[in-house]
Order: sequence, then C-alpha cells, then structure tokens
Amino acid sequence: MTRFIRYVLLVVGAAVMIYPFVWMTGAAFKTFSEATRRSLRLFPVHWQWQNLADTWDGAKFDLFFVNTFWVAGWVTLGVVCTSLMAGYAFARISFPGRSILFIIVLATMMVPFEIILIPNYRLILELGWYNTYKALIVPWCANGFSIFLVRQAMRGIPADYFDAARLDGCGHFRFLLLVAAPMIKPTLVTVALFAFLGTYNSLMWPLVVTSDERLRMVQYGLVVFAGGEGAQRFNLLMCAAAIVITPTVILYFAAQRYFQDSALGAGLKG
Amino acid sequence: MIDSKRIIVASQCVAIAFVLVGCGGGGGSEAGFEPIDDSAAVMWVRQTTTAEVLLNEIVDAFNAERVGLPVKIEYAGDYGDIYRKVSASIQAKSLPGMTVAYESMTTEFAMTGAVQRLDDLIADPEVGLTEDELADFFPGVLETNRYAALGGGTYSFPFSKAVLVMYFNQRVLREAGISDPPRTWGAFVDQCRTIKQKTGKFAYAIDIDCSTLDGFLMAMGGDIVSEQGDAFAGPEMLQVFQMLRTLVDEELAYLTPPRTFEDRSALAQDEVAFIFRSSSHLAPIGELMEGDRDAWGVAVIPQHDPEQPRTVLYGPNACVFAIGDDQVRTSWEFIRFFSRPENSVKWALGTGYLPVRKSAAELPELKAYWAEWEGHRVPYDCLTFARPEPNRAGWQEVRGLVEVAAKGVVTGIRSPEDAARELSTKATAILKAAAP
Repeated sequence: MTRFIRYVLLVVGAAVMIYPFVWMTGAAFKTFSEATRRSLRLFPVHWQWQNLADTWDGAKFDLFFVNTFWVAGWVTLGVVCTSLMAGYAFARISFPGRSILFIIVLATMMVPFEIILIPNYRLILELGWYNTYKALIVPWCANGFSIFLVRQAMRGIPADYFDAARLDGCGHFRFLLLVAAPMIKPTLVTVALFAFLGTYNSLMWPLVVTSDERLRMVQYGLVVFAGGEGAQRFNLLMCAAAIVITPTVILYFAAQRYFQDSALGAGLKG
Repeated sequence: MIDSKRIIVASQCVAIAFVLVGCGGGGGSEAGFEPIDDSAAVMWVRQTTTAEVLLNEIVDAFNAERVGLPVKIEYAGDYGDIYRKVSASIQAKSLPGMTVAYESMTTEFAMTGAVQRLDDLIADPEVGLTEDELADFFPGVLETNRYAALGGGTYSFPFSKAVLVMYFNQRVLREAGISDPPRTWGAFVDQCRTIKQKTGKFAYAIDIDCSTLDGFLMAMGGDIVSEQGDAFAGPEMLQVFQMLRTLVDEELAYLTPPRTFEDRSALAQDEVAFIFRSSSHLAPIGELMEGDRDAWGVAVIPQHDPEQPRTVLYGPNACVFAIGDDQVRTSWEFIRFFSRPENSVKWALGTGYLPVRKSAAELPELKAYWAEWEGHRVPYDCLTFARPEPNRAGWQEVRGLVEVAAKGVVTGIRSPEDAARELSTKATAILKAAAP
C-alpha cells in the first residue's frame, strides 16, 4: 500500500513536471487565436505544421545553433580544464595562500551577474573583443562553482592513491590525468553539463557584448518571437521554445546517469 | 583542514569587498564618448521579424540617397536590455550613434552628458526642420521629447507612437442590447452594469498598467504632475481607484494576470465587452477576432468631458549620442528621414504604430487603410488630443508605485482613499528627489 501511494505521488509529480512541456508542444502547432484561447485542450484542433517552417525561417536558427554549439563547446572545454586543474590544486597541493585563494574563488560565486556586467563589458571593449567570439567564450571559461565542485570531489579520493602513484614515479599532472580525473568522471560530466547549459541558455551577456547577427545564439531566437507592445506571436514563441529546448533535453538524458552519480556520489561532502 | 564556516564567512566578506570596489570609481560623466563602430552610425533597436525587415528597408533607402557614413540597425534586446546596455556603454564611454528609448531612459542617459541636445540640429537651415514641418507634427509627439528637467531641451525625437484606446466586443454589446460604446465614465459604468444584468458576463477585463491608469486619469480631467511638481495631487486618481473598486465589488470587472494578454483573449472569446490597450494591439486583436470586423470595434476611451477628450500617448523615441559630429549629424538626419510622412506611414502600416505627422493623412496608402474599416482611423484621430506621460527623472520608479496602488485597490487590500493619498505622497517625494 505504501509502495502504491509512493508511485501515485511520483506519477502525479511527474505529470506536474511534464505538463508544461506537453502544453508548450501543443501550443507550438496551434493558430495564434487558438494558442491564446483559455482552454483545457492540450493539442490543436488542426495541426499547423507551417508554424515549424515559419519559426525556423523567422529567426535563422541554423546559424544560431552553429554559433551556440561552437561557443558552448569551447566554454565547456575551458571550464572542465580550469576546474580540473584548480580543483586538484586546492584539494591536493599545499602552497602558501591556498586558503585565501580558495576563499576568493568562492567569493566570486556570491557576486551577482548584474554587478559584474558593466566592468566586464568595459574590459571587453578595452580589449577590442566587442563583437567577437572571444567575448562570448573567454570570460566564461572558469568559474568558482565548478572549481568548488571538483575540489570537493578530489578531496574524496583517498591520499593513499596519490602516495602509491608517487612511489611509482607519477607527478601531479600525470596523476591528475590518469588517476584522479577518471575517478571523478561523474563530477566532471556534471561540471561540463552545467557549463554547456549555462552558455546555451545565456542571453543577456551575448546581447551586451555582440550586436552582429552573425554571432547570435539560440536564446536570441526566442526573443525574436517575444515581440513587444502587443506584437507577441505566442504560437511561434512556443514553437521556438520547443526547438530551443530539444538539444538540452537530449543532452540531459544522455548525461543523466553521470549527473545522478555525481549528485549522489561525490555530492558536496567534505 | 579549513573550517567550512570560516571559509563561508570569509568568502562572503571578500564578495562584499568585490561589490564595493566595483561600485566605486566608474567612468566620469564628462564628454569623451567614442563611437562603438567607426564605420557606421549604429542604431540600437528592439524590433524583430517583420518590423526589423521594414526598418532595414527604410535604412537602405536612407543610405541610398545620402553620401557619407551609413546607418546600421542592431537589435539590442527589449527596452530593459537596451537600458542596461546603454548604461554599461556610457560607463565604458563607447556608444552607438542612436538608440530607441522611453523618456525616462533618455532622462537618465542625458544626465550623464551622453545624449546630444537636438535643438541646434532641428533649427539648422541645412539639415533641420522648417517651421511648417515642425507644425506638421502632432503636438504631443514633440512635447514629450522636450525635457523640462534638462533645461527644456529636446533630447530625443519621435520614433514609434501609439495611444490608449478602448476595444469593445460588438457581440457582447448586442447581447446586452447596447448599440454604441460609452463616451463618458458614467455611461461606461452603467453599460458594465447592463452587460452584467443582461448577459451575466463580466464587462471589463482589467490589465493593470501605469500608462492605462494615467490615461484614465487624463480622461477624468486630471493632470499627472501639477505645475508645482506634485504627482497625482488632484482628485482624479482617487476617482479612477473608486471606479475600479466599484467595478470589482459589483463583479462587473476582474483582474487579469500581468503581462499575459489574457484580457485580449477574453475579449476575443466574448467573455467581456471592454478592454483598454495601446493602439499597437489593433492588429493582434483583429487576428484573435479571426477577421470578423463586425464583431468588435475601437473607440476613444470614455471621458469626463467628451467635447474635450484626452488620452495617453506612448511609444519610444530615438535619442542621439554625443559621439562626434559626423555620427551625430548622420543619426539626426536618419531620424529626420524616418519622420517623413511617407516613411512614417510605411512604418505605421507595417507595425501598428501611428504616423507622427498630420500630413500623413493625405497619403493614399493611409486613406486606403482607413477605408478598409472604421476602427483603423480611431487611433490616428486620438493623436490630436493625446498627451504624453511625464518625462522626468524618477518616473520609472513612480510607474511601479502606481501599479502597486491600483492592485491594492482592485484586490481589496487598500481603500481607494488610502491608496490615492499614499501614491501622491510617495510619487511626489520620488520625483522631487530625482530632479536634477
């Protein structure tokens, strides 16, 4: 009986979570009039497949997807590299000022994005990076949260492993790549997932540091249909939302096992 | 081993230090602004899809007839994004040639010295506007670009304009036995009661928005800010609040969630008879009505005195940044070009905004549009008496207060008297404190 109630609750919970996605998909293929109508009907009376073509053509999604994967790919690689090395250093290497440096890294997590927006933008302009991929990639290649996550995972590796590797002549870099990194793979996948999704979902920063449409990313595709002063195309906006979230849903399912291992295994202990 | 609590406390202290350091210094407000793009006079806009295509067509026409620096359109997000991006660019002293901006945004930008005062350019015999051309603009659309708080200078120029109008559902009115929409506030409340009595439906779906409430206040005969600088000092805002409370208490009206456009859907589905929205909603409401032009209409909002009608004028303007003579001159010439009657009409027909010049009425494209349906002309006729909201510093903050006060009244949390009194006191204090 307890098991039955648990499953009922889980099914209800899952339905609550899934409903907005189903609703979004249904609205994506309705007419403008039907999409804005208050109704319990999830799916359209007449499927408007043309919405898909109108949405795709209306916002240059092919270009936006290429840009997004290019930028997000480099950011993900950058974050994994920097957090792996910094996390290892903070967890395993004793050096003067380690504690204060780690405190400074943690402190960066507590400064809101809005506070650093203007100084970062000024820096980008002074570096001559406005309207370049560098402005979209470089500032996001390291972050305190990922370093913290990797450092915690590294601390979960028994010191004996390192001692044994050293006896066999292994240095820090080799130990990091050949022993430590494979042992914290779930954490690294999580870090990569967060980095990728963070870049994929970014809108404000790309809008500020670029103005050339050739550098736009997928979230801009949503804004195109959000309109303004009454011009919002609700059905096309939902269609664009469905297009934009599809890769992230696929990515999440692909990395789900590692993500769960990371959350349950390495977690935030230490 | 580091103590976790100590790490957290210490990192919070460092974070605060970062913020304090970040808040200090910053760029000065003196001149020395540079163009963000030397090769073109960039205009930051919020237009996308068909509006963006149309705007680019107008830009191409401008660039084709002029030798020199070209104009380039760049999407910069919604108005909130544009505000942040321009603010950051002012700090960085690197700006586009021009941007679309509401008056409250322009005021704040101009107070840093970044915005070019346009009066000399307007009066320039070569690139300016003649007396006849200036007289061709509707008075409200120019008035809103002169900033009393900035010495009465013209710091922006009309770009996209709209007015507050009343949309009504003919089917619901017919069901209630009403032939024409109300012309006075008294008739409006009476018709709401009749609709409820005859059809059992709500008459009005309320969308709380500061501009709508300001329009109500104007149409009640009031002024938003008195000559002494007191906000909502007359009895009219209280009358607006009392009317809203009456409508809700008698179940003649209900509040729709903000920014959902549910009032438009309710109108299209014959659930209510009236909604109040900007004239820029005309095309989407027409689409929601599925092309049935007998089913709905557009009217001037009800008035205290229908012989002296008033409504609110809104929509963004364009402001030019002081980033060098060539950039300023190109930007100004484009803004002037954009306001030509033929371009103004082209823009209006493509976007749902209104032409800003009286002579636009003589153009055949506009006449043909008006001939299609009587509702098409109503917003244009409102331009003769539409008034802008205040273009003072601090107004953006006051907008929030107005909406909070109205929500308090409609939901029954505050009495209309308390809400109106408190709103007047707080808004006046904010405007006076923000005055340069």
